[in-house]
Amino acid sequence: MKFSGALRRLILFFGLVPALLGQRGSPDLAAVTAALGNRQFDRALELVSTALEQYPHDARLWTLQGIALSGKGRSKDALSSFRTSLKFSPDYLPAIEGAAQIEYEAGSEAAVPLLEHVLRLRPHDQTSHAMLAVIAYRHHDCHKCVRNFEQSGPLLDSQVGALQEYGSCLVRLKQLDQAIAAFQRALDSHPDNPDARYQLAAVQLQTGHADQTIETLTPALQSGLADDRAMELAASAYEAKGDTPQAVTTLRQAIVKNPRNTDLYLDFADLCVQHQSFQTGVDMINSGLSLQPKVAPLYLARGILYVQLARFDDAEADFEKADVLDPRNSFAAAALGLQAVEQHDPDQALATLRAKLAKRPNEPFLLYLQADILTQKGPDPNSPDFQMAVRSATRAVALEPRLVPAHDLLAKLYLQAGKNEQAVQQCRKALENDPKDQTALYHLIQALRKTGQKDELPELLKQLAELRRQATQQEREHNRYKLVTETSPSDEAK
Amino acid sequence: MTFSRRSFFQLSLGALLSTAGQRLLGQGVATHTARPLARSAFSGRPFHAHFVDVASAAGLHAPVIYGGVDSKKYILESTGCGCAFLDYDNDGWMDIFLLSGTRLNDAPPGTTNRLYKNNRDSTFTDVTEKAGLQAVGWASAVCIGDYNNDGFDDIFCTYFGQNRLYCNRGDGTFADVTKAAGLWNEQPRWGAGCSFLDYDRDGHLDLFVSNYLRFSFEHAPVPGQNANCNWKGIPVECGPRGLPTGRHSLYRNNGDGTFTDVSEKAGISKATESYGMTAITADLDEDGWPDIYVACDSTPSLLFINNHDGTFREEAVVRGVALSDDGAEQAGMGVGIGDYDLDGHLDLYKTHFTDDSCGLYHNDGTGNFDDVTRSARIAAETRYICWGAGMVDLDNDGYPDIFMVTGNVYPEVERKLPQYANKTPRVLFRNLGNGTFEELDDQAGLAIREVHCSRGCAFGDFDNDGDLDILIVNLNESPSLLRNDLSGNQNWLKVKLEGVKSNRSAIGARVLVRYEGKKQVQALLSQSSFYSCNDPRLHFGLGPAKVVDVDVFWPSGLHETYKRISANQLLTLREGGGPIPSKGWAAR
Repeated sequence: MKFSGALRRLILFFGLVPALLGQRGSPDLAAVTAALGNRQFDRALELVSTALEQYPHDARLWTLQGIALSGKGRSKDALSSFRTSLKFSPDYLPAIEGAAQIEYEAGSEAAVPLLEHVLRLRPHDQTSHAMLAVIAYRHHDCHKCVRNFEQSGPLLDSQVGALQEYGSCLVRLKQLDQAIAAFQRALDSHPDNPDARYQLAAVQLQTGHADQTIETLTPALQSGLADDRAMELAASAYEAKGDTPQAVTTLRQAIVKNPRNTDLYLDFADLCVQHQSFQTGVDMINSGLSLQPKVAPLYLARGILYVQLARFDDAEADFEKADVLDPRNSFAAAALGLQAVEQHDPDQALATLRAKLAKRPNEPFLLYLQADILTQKGPDPNSPDFQMAVRSATRAVALEPRLVPAHDLLAKLYLQAGKNEQAVQQCRKALENDPKDQTALYHLIQALRKTGQKDELPELLKQLAELRRQATQQEREHNRYKLVTETSPSDEAK
Repeated sequence: MTFSRRSFFQLSLGALLSTAGQRLLGQGVATHTARPLARSAFSGRPFHAHFVDVASAAGLHAPVIYGGVDSKKYILESTGCGCAFLDYDNDGWMDIFLLSGTRLNDAPPGTTNRLYKNNRDSTFTDVTEKAGLQAVGWASAVCIGDYNNDGFDDIFCTYFGQNRLYCNRGDGTFADVTKAAGLWNEQPRWGAGCSFLDYDRDGHLDLFVSNYLRFSFEHAPVPGQNANCNWKGIPVECGPRGLPTGRHSLYRNNGDGTFTDVSEKAGISKATESYGMTAITADLDEDGWPDIYVACDSTPSLLFINNHDGTFREEAVVRGVALSDDGAEQAGMGVGIGDYDLDGHLDLYKTHFTDDSCGLYHNDGTGNFDDVTRSARIAAETRYICWGAGMVDLDNDGYPDIFMVTGNVYPEVERKLPQYANKTPRVLFRNLGNGTFEELDDQAGLAIREVHCSRGCAFGDFDNDGDLDILIVNLNESPSLLRNDLSGNQNWLKVKLEGVKSNRSAIGARVLVRYEGKKQVQALLSQSSFYSCNDPRLHFGLGPAKVVDVDVFWPSGLHETYKRISANQLLTLREGGGPIPSKGWAAR
């Protein structure tokens, strides 16, 4: 992102203060600034060079040389001139700004201390704030990014990219209403920018405003300019508002548009699971596989659908295929392991998982599953299996603190072992990551009841009832439609 | 920045495959993908109870008609009905009452509920017509109790349509007094579980009725119509999900043969979001007042705790008996109640759907429960849809076992998925005495392995030989009567109670028997298992113990203790009056 006001401002600075520049014992810089103002960079360099012979320690001359060199595109030499200037006058603002501009444009980390130096000298410098915001965004420091963008004044709105970065960070900080406002400004200023439209629509959906998402996407959908990604988002919005037929239609259109987009088939499979239309999901995955027969996630998805259809042999074959195609992915191995559990063989399941864990000992999901399967054996709390389950789940959450099922499992194990306080802690961690986790909420209620901490219980019971109500409502919406097999859109696309 | 709803892998691997036992999305009934617990090696200990199905020889020939045989269009056809052991003629021998359903179109001739009189020679005589109990309809549950304290047990039946209260005249006949008693529903309802209880301890039996759901043929969706009408991708009957929930009712006995609906006043009406099924009433928190537990299908089960002032508060979630150990709804059908770990407290066992384990809940004595399904190794069995159940000592070794009957609700499914058969075997978990159970195969006789599509079952000693036999409802087949041919030298005690200040049936009483350093509690119930009622004579297996101490906690609040009671007898106790002569054994 370009914030290039520095050079112009520097030239202006020098041009506005000729009286200062013409003092006795100082070089006469009026001619230099005039040349710079006229973008006569070679002439400016000649004049500076002459002056530097007489005043080699004059920070202003080195700065003017840096400006001239910048104007000629000789950034490295310009930076050297600005750095020399700062040796003679460390707080010389034009030199700091000039150096910061070059470092920023080069994407260098060195820009940060220079920009912060500028802000110490001129705290409300909007360009420096904007530049620092962009750098912070690159470093995923959203707090700093948002803080600086908010002090960058009108510069923020002048660049759609800045608004998008600002909005993205607001999303990460869960300040979704502000994010919507930012993306709306981006779209208003650049209505033809598909990214701005997509981002606004996506956050609207995230905040539960599916209708607004559709409204935002409609111009692109109606003009036929929407890409498969926007159509996928629209399908999600239609589904969220309960219009499953339109969701299916839109998703099918997206697949027609880009039949090699694996994610679209997975979304379709997801819809099929939601609506108990497993065979339709299988049919669609088959279409995807006909185009891309070596995509592991498609086999994994079809295997999951087969499980729902109680076609366990077919499921196992798909899980094995997925594992062969993508041995680095732990999901297929996990599914294979669980398939063994399905067939009442936890030892085989453990063997499968442990073989995978030997290669990937720090894979949180596999560690969690190992704990889960050990728990399935119904071990006594004093048994080695139980202890191993606790260790494995503990390791899983240490490696991936957001792995909610592992927190849930740990809470369950602690409840079983009578370690109710520890169960409470795990429940709270699960709920931090997923406030809608009914399992964690239920375990928390049980653990608090057992520890005699009953003050929270009435509120938690209300929350659980509300979550159940929402889940029932959601399920009711899901159950309004059943998907039926039609001609595959990828067939249509062929 | 990418935004995607592609939660498929996370959700699917978690919810569809995870062993943690997650709810399957969008089908008519709550089930889990709960993976069965690994089975432990067989203990090798002999099991001395051996069951033989003697129904045919005993004269129980008539089939229990209930909906379609090969397929079911509506859920109404599949939930089935219960049965009861009762001594309607007070001769000391258990008679049999079997409910019946009907068909969507014409029911076969002879379709009716049936009362069988015990001939005291291991055979029964159908006395339905003579007793005035002929009835055709969609019957659900039966509960037994002497609601008018006249010394003769009465019968209450729930129905889709109109429930019925049959007053025992004491002369072998019954009178339908539903309207006169004030129990007539102005609008037809789907009555499900029912249980007599004396919730206000006034000595008169009140009545709790759970209602399953609101159903009408006009508005009911048909198989495959939506996702609630599919199971594993196969179109099946719809529900219960997607159908409106029922409302439960509590009727106060006015002491004059009539009842008043106090559901609202008592706080029962507040529970509006449940598909109620079997209802049991017992003093679960040991405060001397009866509580109500309702197994609920696909919704959280309910535990109404008695506030001692004519009202109840519903606390099943916080007390740990509403949901699975992962906080998920289950398809609660039947309930067994007993003291599996001999700590003197009433534990609960709830039956569920296939691909899920049934639930065993350990009571800490205050009405708070821990789900011990896994640690007790009950979770090893997830193959069947389970219905009637009992926590009963079948081999008299002093440790209550768990028995349950099974059967599918979707007879059409097995044609595509043979692993989900329509007719499935009985399940017997033998109590190993260390807090765990092991599932027996044919060690208890081939009758256990016979496959039927069963629903209700009742436990009682129909031949008065000192063990527990089992009566089972099989849909569209004749019932099973599993006679227990018990070998070995284990001892037993039966306790029959006769209330005086308490209700005459003594329903709600707790009996604690101490033997060999152990203590086992049982409750006198009006309903348990699935929609069924057991022999009111509480049966305690005693193992080698020949002398026991007995504590009786009467519903009135009276606590009596009887020391050094000899084993192997029926002990009949009158409230405040001690032992009285027993019927049945004396008459042999």
